[in-house]
Amino acid sequence: MSEAAALGRVEVNEVRAIVRFSALLVEDNLADSELVLRELRRGGFEVTCDVVQTADQFRQKLQTTTPDVVLADYNLGSWRGMEALEILRSAGLDIPLILVSGAVGDVTAVECIKQGATDYVLKDSLTRLPASVRRALQERKEREDRRHAEADLARKVEELARSNRDLEQFAYVASHDLQEPLRMVAAYTQLLGERYAGKLDENADKYIHYAMEGALRMQTLVQDLLAYSRVGRNRQRTLLACEGTVQEALQNLRTALQESGGIVHYDGLPTVTADRTQLVQLFQNLISNAIKFRGEKAPVITVSAARSAAEWVLAVSDNGIGIAPEHIGSIFVIFQRLHTRAEYPGNGVGLAICKKIVEQHGGRIWVESKAGEGASFKFTLPASPADGQMDHAQ
Amino acid sequence: MKEAPDILLVDDNPADVGLTREVLAASAHHVNIHNVPDGEEAITFLRRLGKYTQAARPDLVVLDLNMPRKGGQAVLAEVKTDPQLRTIPIVVFTTSHAEKDITHSYELGANCYISKPGNLGDFFSAVQSIEEYWFGFTSLPH
Repeated sequence: MSEAAALGRVEVNEVRAIVRFSALLVEDNLADSELVLRELRRGGFEVTCDVVQTADQFRQKLQTTTPDVVLADYNLGSWRGMEALEILRSAGLDIPLILVSGAVGDVTAVECIKQGATDYVLKDSLTRLPASVRRALQERKEREDRRHAEADLARKVEELARSNRDLEQFAYVASHDLQEPLRMVAAYTQLLGERYAGKLDENADKYIHYAMEGALRMQTLVQDLLAYSRVGRNRQRTLLACEGTVQEALQNLRTALQESGGIVHYDGLPTVTADRTQLVQLFQNLISNAIKFRGEKAPVITVSAARSAAEWVLAVSDNGIGIAPEHIGSIFVIFQRLHTRAEYPGNGVGLAICKKIVEQHGGRIWVESKAGEGASFKFTLPASPADGQMDHAQ
Repeated sequence: MKEAPDILLVDDNPADVGLTREVLAASAHHVNIHNVPDGEEAITFLRRLGKYTQAARPDLVVLDLNMPRKGGQAVLAEVKTDPQLRTIPIVVFTTSHAEKDITHSYELGANCYISKPGNLGDFFSAVQSIEEYWFGFTSLPH
């Protein structure tokens, strides 16, 4: 929307300091109308003005024109200026209404403003009117700008949400549908390798080997991508003891733990509201990384928790190779890897899944680490009320 | 059990049919393999209609789920409610791992549900297991 349009019919000429606007006067006394207009012109306004007396006339006028400001007498004989405010409201019009009136008590003035009148100007101090109108116009412009900005923001939020949904759907469909042809490529290159190994020539054997390796790696990539895009589908939140989910994760990792001689300590873990499968996967991915990226020593891994205001901060800390500061920013990005496959196998999906799980649960995840000094992966989960009670009981 | 059991592969993917044939051809049970590419033809085959008037009654149906025209679950529903056909065991053999596909297939009367493995070795083992289980150990109705 252009600025001129945003300003509506209010045109500000800064050089001459003349403000042009249209007013609708609700006044049963013509002499008073003249006084009001004269005061406005004296105050530097160029006013286009209509005058109405009755509520019906007021309603009719609003059908054909939209004034910038309504200036209404408080007492109009058969009706009151405050009723004009009601009419504006029920017509859904955001037009400032300034009451212009003879002596009325302060209490009434305050009451009118409470009910939504923009200002209250007494007829014997009309010199105050230009300033009051200027402020009313300014406030209306600000309200309009805010409305536009809010509508704009709401539209962008909706667009973003839709584009995210599309992207999720795309990732899911793509990874799901890619599996089928990929399985064919992998199976038949494997078959070719088994049936014709040593029967063609050395180059053929090598080519088949590369094709097979590529197909198998792509299969795990597609499976990982599918696992990533599945996070957030079919979630069921229940009250969960983190200790149980850590135990389940350790059970799934028992071979890797035995092979590495690793030890996992965990104590004082809270009860949280979360999706069980996802929480197990979160702990499993983090502990599995701690085992994978171990140093010379056998891995010693600690899972701990600390309460911070309305959330829990959980940490999976290790004594592994750590992460150099320049890489800390990129490790949660999908398919980002810091090592060659020969050094450490993997696709760079594990931590991206962790991030997605934590964010789906309304938390944040980050890492604290220095190269060679181990890493501490921390994430927050909202503390549930039931959990808070348990905390006090302990 | 008759000398050579008949197996009907209902699958529109020639590559998977090819792999399955590879395994079955090497088996000790000398299986007669029949293949139809979709659910409609499967029903025509089983009811011995059209070009299938001379077709053998299969001892086992290996059924894919995602197929053009008539899908596997429609075939399951039709066969398992047909008094003439419902004694024929049906193994669902599909790429789908989806919980709802598994549950619904058993609800419709599938005798077994196997997801096609991605790895060739596992795929071969799966087909060998199907063959060994149904033709080696199981007593089938005549």
